[in-house]
Amino acid sequence: MTLTAEAPPTRAARPARRPSSRRRSLREAGAGYAFLTPWLLGFLLLTAGPMAASLYLAFTDYNLFAPPQWVGLENFTRLFSDPNYTQAWKVTALYVVVGTPVKLLASLLVAMLLNNAFRGKGFYRSAFYLPSLVGASVSIAIVWKAMFIDGGVVDRGQQLLGFSAGGWVGDPNRTVPMLILLTVWQFGAPMVIFLAGLKQVPTELYEAAAVDGAGPVRKFFRITLPMLSPVLFFNLLLETIHAFQIFNSAFIISNGTGGPARSTLFYTFYLYIRGFQDFQMGYASAMAWVLVLVVGAISLVLFQTQNRWVHYSGESK
Amino acid sequence: MTLNFTFWGNDDRASRYQQAIDLFNEEYTDISITSSFAAFADYWPARTTEAAGRALPDVMQFDLSYLREFSENGQLLDLAPYVENETIDLSGYDETLLEAGVLDGKTIGIPTSTNTLAMFENPNVTQAAGATFPDDADYSWEDLNGFIEDVSASGTSTADGYQLYGSGDYTGTFWFFIQWLLQNGVTPFNEDGTLGFDEADVVEFLGLTADLREADQLYPVERATSLLPKGGFTVNEVASEMSWDNFLTQYTTDSGTDNLEMHQLPSIEPGEKALFYKPSMLLSAGANTEHPVEAALFINFLLTDPEVGTIFGTSKGVPADEEQRAAVDVTEGSVDAKVIAYEEEVAEQVTEATPIPVKGFGTIEAKWRTLAEELAYGNLDPEGFATEWFAEAEMAIS
Repeated sequence: MTLTAEAPPTRAARPARRPSSRRRSLREAGAGYAFLTPWLLGFLLLTAGPMAASLYLAFTDYNLFAPPQWVGLENFTRLFSDPNYTQAWKVTALYVVVGTPVKLLASLLVAMLLNNAFRGKGFYRSAFYLPSLVGASVSIAIVWKAMFIDGGVVDRGQQLLGFSAGGWVGDPNRTVPMLILLTVWQFGAPMVIFLAGLKQVPTELYEAAAVDGAGPVRKFFRITLPMLSPVLFFNLLLETIHAFQIFNSAFIISNGTGGPARSTLFYTFYLYIRGFQDFQMGYASAMAWVLVLVVGAISLVLFQTQNRWVHYSGESK
Repeated sequence: MTLNFTFWGNDDRASRYQQAIDLFNEEYTDISITSSFAAFADYWPARTTEAAGRALPDVMQFDLSYLREFSENGQLLDLAPYVENETIDLSGYDETLLEAGVLDGKTIGIPTSTNTLAMFENPNVTQAAGATFPDDADYSWEDLNGFIEDVSASGTSTADGYQLYGSGDYTGTFWFFIQWLLQNGVTPFNEDGTLGFDEADVVEFLGLTADLREADQLYPVERATSLLPKGGFTVNEVASEMSWDNFLTQYTTDSGTDNLEMHQLPSIEPGEKALFYKPSMLLSAGANTEHPVEAALFINFLLTDPEVGTIFGTSKGVPADEEQRAAVDVTEGSVDAKVIAYEEEVAEQVTEATPIPVKGFGTIEAKWRTLAEELAYGNLDPEGFATEWFAEAEMAIS
């Protein structure tokens, strides 16, 4: 999104033939930048500035009160001997690696169902999208917690089905699954994008395949999936990055502790605890930069693999 | 002009503060107060961020555990001049109590009240389990464990099918460790800001409940986590819990049980409780305030106005100011009467000076809580607990 906004106005780039048109294009470029100003200011002051500051702080010992003290790489080396840090990576990785594919699968399935023509599909599309609108909110996290505590809906349900009693909130083995269910339930955003992608698949491809005797499974793997791959790539990238940033729901469900037994101590959550509860801003900044680098590297790898499985229509390759 | 005022607490405290502010406005019509509040844990990140931006509220409720950090960089206003010119009238205060808010010669906080530790018992749970709480005056930690075992092993359950327990794991609270150290004759924090105990002390303290932990006779951590922010004691599934004596108000409201009893703490030597007063609910002003005089007036009003004493009762602890203390409604059998009776009963047992928390106290207290949870889930043993806690403490204190 930011890339489009950063691109210079195309007119200005063109070679000007006459001085008057050159002046005009300069004026246009000026106007372009004038309109960009609010965004540029926001970017420089609220994003780039703080990022630069945090990069500096990552090499310091800073407790918010006294001025930062330069400590070199100490914060980074400390990461490796911090058992909580390892734990934070473990739960975050579990959440990303399991949660993201399950969420994408769920959204793709629902998108395919909703792609069929049937009465009231508009209603169902809105209904399935709804959780995405409210799902990230604090109140839903509270409701989610209420559902999974001792004696909550889930506990009573599993007792009816003959499973042992007990809520999920207090069980360190079931808190991450609980949060994965919460994110999967919010499949609306990727679903809408899948739906748009499905609409783009030319029907004549299916017709041709039907003539050749392809069944629904074959059509899915040979036509739908390849045609959908750019959308799938987009969703995968976005949801992966998004999953790394899980914070709100874990914060609410664990009462701001990362518990029980550090089972919800997600990366950004631990970063927050170090920064704002332990006042170790330098350490927290170092953590933030490692996360930026890791997420950046993962995105890069995803982009690299693109050539192998993503098909853009109209591509001459 | 407007003063910003922040405090931690719940709705009940907020409505009491609102009444106090209304009273203040009757007297000082030209000072309006904008107040806001949060839970204790959320309160500090907000204040620290404000401190970094030199934008602290004009007046704040403050806790001893964070005072040192904020004072070190001159974030808090020195109230001494206002005490000297009697804008803040501390004539009804015990001198020694005021020392808690004086750091490096500056009066940066004045306590509203004092707390001391107490043992709370829910007699309904005890009776249902067919147990009896040990004799008040000189029961030991072992006696307490025996009581816990009696209740937990009775196999009694609530109407909802939850088993009754004698207690949660009391070694999970840092302040109880401090109390136990004092009973052992150990000074927890040295003058130079270092710790007066070592890993072996921590391991020994955690060992107090080792057998109960082993036998699953402590309130299950899974259930406790599930109940947060309430606890086993406030849902009437646990027979006893130690805490600050001012908790009676909250316990009574949350549990709906109005016959909760207060007992003395267990001790190592019979009857030697080694109690201390914790000056609490300090009021401080941000050094950045543009209205120091008005801030001082408001602080004075909250600390010394008798009607404010009536409004809060013992919900913030027993008021430090003489007139406020006298104004607390002590109807026989009321919550406030019980708390005041307890403090009178143990007055002679208060033999220790207040352990002045080291810098980073808030952090090391929170780490203790996290690690105790790990211990309860069986992910750590007491030795691992001690090692990890000391590693954290070293960073927080330095």
